[in-house]
Amino acid sequence: MEKYILLCLVLLAAPLFPGIILKTKAFFAGKKGPPLLIKYYTLAKLLRKCSVYSTSTTFVFRLGPTVGFGSALLVLSFFPFGGVEPLFSFHGDVIALFYILGTGRFFTVVAALDTASPFEGMGAAREVFFSTIAELTIFTVLILFCRINGSLSFSEYFLGDNPVSLVDPSGALLVLVIVSMFMVMLTECSRVPVDDPATHLELTMIHEVMILDHSGPDLALIELASFYKLFFYSAFIVHLIYPFSAGAGLLNGIIFTTLMVLIYGAIGVVESITARFRMNLVPQFVLTSFALVFFAAILTMGVFQ
Amino acid sequence: MEIFSLSVVVLFVGGLLPLVIFRFFRLMKAVYTTITVVGCLLGLYGAVTIFSGAAAGPYSLHWLHFFQLRFFLDSLSAFFLVPIFGVCPLAVLYSFHYMDDSNSKIETGVHFFFTNVLIIAMALVVAADTIASFVLAWELMSVSSFMLVIHDYQNKTSRRAGYIYLLFTQTGAAFIFAAMGLAYGYSASFDLVALAQLPEQIKPVVFMLALVGFGSKAGMFPLHIWLPHAHPAAPSNISAIMSGVMIKMGIYGIVRFYALLGTTGTVLGQTILLAGMVSGVLGVVYALGKHDLKKLLAYHSVENIGIILIGLGIGMVGVSSGNMKMAVFGFVGGLLHVLNHAVFKSLLFLGAGAVLKKTGVNHIDQLGGLLKRMPITGRTFMVGSVAISGLPPFNGFVSEFLIYYGAFQGLGAAGGLFILSMLAILSLAVTGGLAAACFTKVVGLVFLGEPRTGQAASAVETRCCATVPMAVLAGACVVIGIFPEPFVQVAFMGLKGLVPVSTAAAADLVAATANLALAGRLFAGLFLCCVVLRKIFYLGKKIRTGPTWGCGFTQPAARMQYTGTSYAMSVVKFFSFFVHIRTRYSGIKRIFPDRPCYETRVDDIAETVLADRIVTPMLYFLGKLRWIQHGHIQLYIGYIIVTIIVLLPFI
Repeated sequence: MEKYILLCLVLLAAPLFPGIILKTKAFFAGKKGPPLLIKYYTLAKLLRKCSVYSTSTTFVFRLGPTVGFGSALLVLSFFPFGGVEPLFSFHGDVIALFYILGTGRFFTVVAALDTASPFEGMGAAREVFFSTIAELTIFTVLILFCRINGSLSFSEYFLGDNPVSLVDPSGALLVLVIVSMFMVMLTECSRVPVDDPATHLELTMIHEVMILDHSGPDLALIELASFYKLFFYSAFIVHLIYPFSAGAGLLNGIIFTTLMVLIYGAIGVVESITARFRMNLVPQFVLTSFALVFFAAILTMGVFQ
Repeated sequence: MEIFSLSVVVLFVGGLLPLVIFRFFRLMKAVYTTITVVGCLLGLYGAVTIFSGAAAGPYSLHWLHFFQLRFFLDSLSAFFLVPIFGVCPLAVLYSFHYMDDSNSKIETGVHFFFTNVLIIAMALVVAADTIASFVLAWELMSVSSFMLVIHDYQNKTSRRAGYIYLLFTQTGAAFIFAAMGLAYGYSASFDLVALAQLPEQIKPVVFMLALVGFGSKAGMFPLHIWLPHAHPAAPSNISAIMSGVMIKMGIYGIVRFYALLGTTGTVLGQTILLAGMVSGVLGVVYALGKHDLKKLLAYHSVENIGIILIGLGIGMVGVSSGNMKMAVFGFVGGLLHVLNHAVFKSLLFLGAGAVLKKTGVNHIDQLGGLLKRMPITGRTFMVGSVAISGLPPFNGFVSEFLIYYGAFQGLGAAGGLFILSMLAILSLAVTGGLAAACFTKVVGLVFLGEPRTGQAASAVETRCCATVPMAVLAGACVVIGIFPEPFVQVAFMGLKGLVPVSTAAAADLVAATANLALAGRLFAGLFLCCVVLRKIFYLGKKIRTGPTWGCGFTQPAARMQYTGTSYAMSVVKFFSFFVHIRTRYSGIKRIFPDRPCYETRVDDIAETVLADRIVTPMLYFLGKLRWIQHGHIQLYIGYIIVTIIVLLPFI
C-alpha cells in the first residue's frame, strides 16, 4: 500500500521542485521570482487550452508527447524513492528502463522532424548526438555498480543489506559517480550549461526547439515528462549520497525531500553562475562525465576490490 | 526429413516452371508465387516438427563415387530454417507486384528460378552433414545470389557490384575450402563430425580460416565491403533475402564450426567478440554517413552482424571461462538476434524497395513526407526502425537485452574478462544510441516532413502484394517484442547439444525473459493508458491547423528542411578517426551567388585501405608482368612445353 501512495505523491510533487530552481536563479539575480507553484499553474493552463497542429504533421507528431510521457512514468514506477520498495523490480530492469527512455526520445525526435521545420531538425540532431554519449556514461555507471555488488536493478542498488552507498569501502568511487551523474542529468534534462530552455534564440536550443510546435495538453505532457525525468535523475543522485534504511518511514521522507531540495538548488546555482556552452564544447562536457566513471570502473580492477 | 525433402522438391519445381511459361507473364508470376509460398510453408512446418522432437534422420547419396552427400537436420539447423522459410515466402510474395516489367519476361523468369535456387541452397547449407555437401550447397548459394545481384545486368553499376560480390564470396569460399582441406588432411574423413577429432593445436587455425570465409559472407568488418555495393544493386526483394537471411548463413557457419570443433580455447571467443564490437560501432557510423537508402540499410546489416557476433562472442568467452549463465545468455541472445534481424531488416528492405519503386529516388535528401502518401509502407517502416534501433517494446530489444544480461554476468571476473565484458556493454550502448540516431534520420527525412522533390510528392501506396508482407513482418516485430517467451525458447532449443547447459542457467533464462516480457507489456499498457488520458484532455476541444512555426520566417520552403548530411555530420565527425569525410563546396564568390553547392561523402576505411594498400600495388606489380601476355600463339605453346618439361621430373 505504502508504495502506491508514495508513487502518487512523487507524481504529484514532481512539478513543485523545478520551482526551486527558478527561485534560486531569481535569488542570484536579485529578483523576487515566480511563485513556487508556477509549474502547476502552467500545467493547468496548458491542459485547459486546445491545440494547433501544423499541416505538415502526421499522427507521429501526436505520438511523440504520449510515448515520452509514458516512458518517464514507467521509470518512476521502478525506482525505490526514500528506501520504499518500488511497484516493480527485477534483475536487469535498469537496462530495460534506460532503453525505454530511449524509446521516448526516439519518438520526441521523430515528432520534431515531422514538422518540417529546419530548427527542429537541428535540435533533433543535437539531441540524438549528445544523448548517445550520455548513454555511454550511464552504462558505465551500471557496469560499476554491477562490479561493486553484482546488482542490476534500482531496488538492488539502493535497498537490501548491501546497497551502493558513500559509506561503503568502495564509497570513494561514488564521488566520481555523483559528479558525472550530475553532469548527465544536466545533459539529459536539458539544463544549463548544455542547453538553455529560457533562451530567446531557437538556433541555440536543443530540447526546447524540438517542441516548438507542440501546444495545449500535448505540451503539458511533454513538460510533465521532463519534470519526471529530472525528478528521477535527482532522486538517483540523492540515493547515492545517502543510503536509506528500510522502516524509518517519516525520517527517510524528510531526509529525501531535503536532499532533493539541495540537488535542485545546486542545479539553480549552476544555472546562475555559468553560461551555456558553445555547441562544440558539449560533447567534451559529456565525455568528461564518461571519463570520470570509466576511471572509477577501472579502479575496481585493482584498488577497490 | 521427408517434409524437408518434399519442400525442397516443391521449391525446385516452382523455380523451374517460370523458365517454361515465362511468355504468360501474369500466369507465371501467380503460379511461381503460389508454389514457392507453399514450398516454404512446408519447410517451415518441417522445421517446427524438429523442435517438437521429430526425428530428422540423415539422408544420403553418393556423388562421383567418392563424395558422400549427406543431409541431416538437428535443432540448430532447424532454428536457422525458421528465418529461411519464414522470410523468403514474404519476399517472394512481395516480388509478385515488384517484378512487374513485362518487357523483360525471360529475365524475370530467370530471376525467379535463381531465387528458388538460392532458397534451396540456403536450406541445404544448414542441412549439410559432410564436407562435400556443405561446400556444394555453399557454392550453389553464392552463384545463385550472384546471378540475382546482376539481375539488372545492362546497368554498369550493377555489374560492378556483382563482380565485387563474386570476388568476395569466392575468396571467402576459398578460405572455407582451405579450412576444410586442412581438417581433411588431419582427419582423412569427409564427415563434418570428424572436426572434433582434430589435434587441439590445429583447431584454432581451422576456425580462423573458416571465420574469414564465413565472416566475409556475414559482412563482418573489414570483410563487409561487398554489402553496400551488392544490396543497392539487387532488386529489393533479393536485398531482403540476402540481408535478412543469406548473410546469416555466415553466422550459421561460425556457430556450427564452433560447436563441431568443440574447442574451449579463449582466443576464439575473444576474436569473435572484438570483431563484433568493431563491426557494430563502425557499421552504424558508416550507416549514419550514407544517404543512399539501401546502402544505409546495408551498413546496418554490418552493425547487426556485429551485435550478433558480440552475443556469440560473449557466449564463447562464457564457455571458455566456465561461466554458464554468461554462455547461455550470450548464445541465446545472439541466435535470437539472427531471427530478429531477419524480420526487421527484410521489412526495412521491402519498405525501401517500395519507396524506390514509387518515387524512383533513393537519396534520402530528395524524399520526405511519404507517410501521408504511402501510409502502410510508412507505418511498417517505422515499426522496423524502432525495432532495429533495439528499443522496447519491439523485438530488437529482446535479443539485445539478453546479450547485455550475458555481458553483465562477466563483470564479476578479474582482469581480461572484465575488460572484455565492459567493452562489449559499452559498444552495445554506443551502437544502440547511434542506430536510434540513424533511424530517426531515415524515418524523419524519408517519411515525415514535407516532400523535397516532385517525385516524392507524387508517390502513391504500393499494391497489396507488397504491403501484406510488410504488415506481416511488422506484426512479427511487435509479437516477438511483447511475447518473447516462445521465441527465446526456440533459440534456446537451437543451442541444445552445442554447449553444455546447466539447469540453473536455463531457469535464469526463463526468469529473465519473463521479466523482460513484463517490462515490455507494462510499457505497452502504460502507453495505451496515456493515449486514453490524452484523448480525455482533448475531449470536446476544437483542433485547429496551421503552418509550421517558422520562428518568425514567413516564407518557409520544403528545401529548407534539415538534410541527412547535416543531421548526421556532427556524429560522423566525432568518429573522424575511422571515417574519411570528403567535402566539396563551391564557396560563395559573388554578392549574388547563383548556384553554390555543398556535398560530403563518407568513405569506408576498409574500402580505401583495400584499394590503396592492396589492390593498387598489386595492379602495379602485375602490370610489370604484362609482357608475358603478348598474344603470340607460338610462344604460348612454348610456355606449355616448358611447363611440362619442368614438371616431368616430379612425376
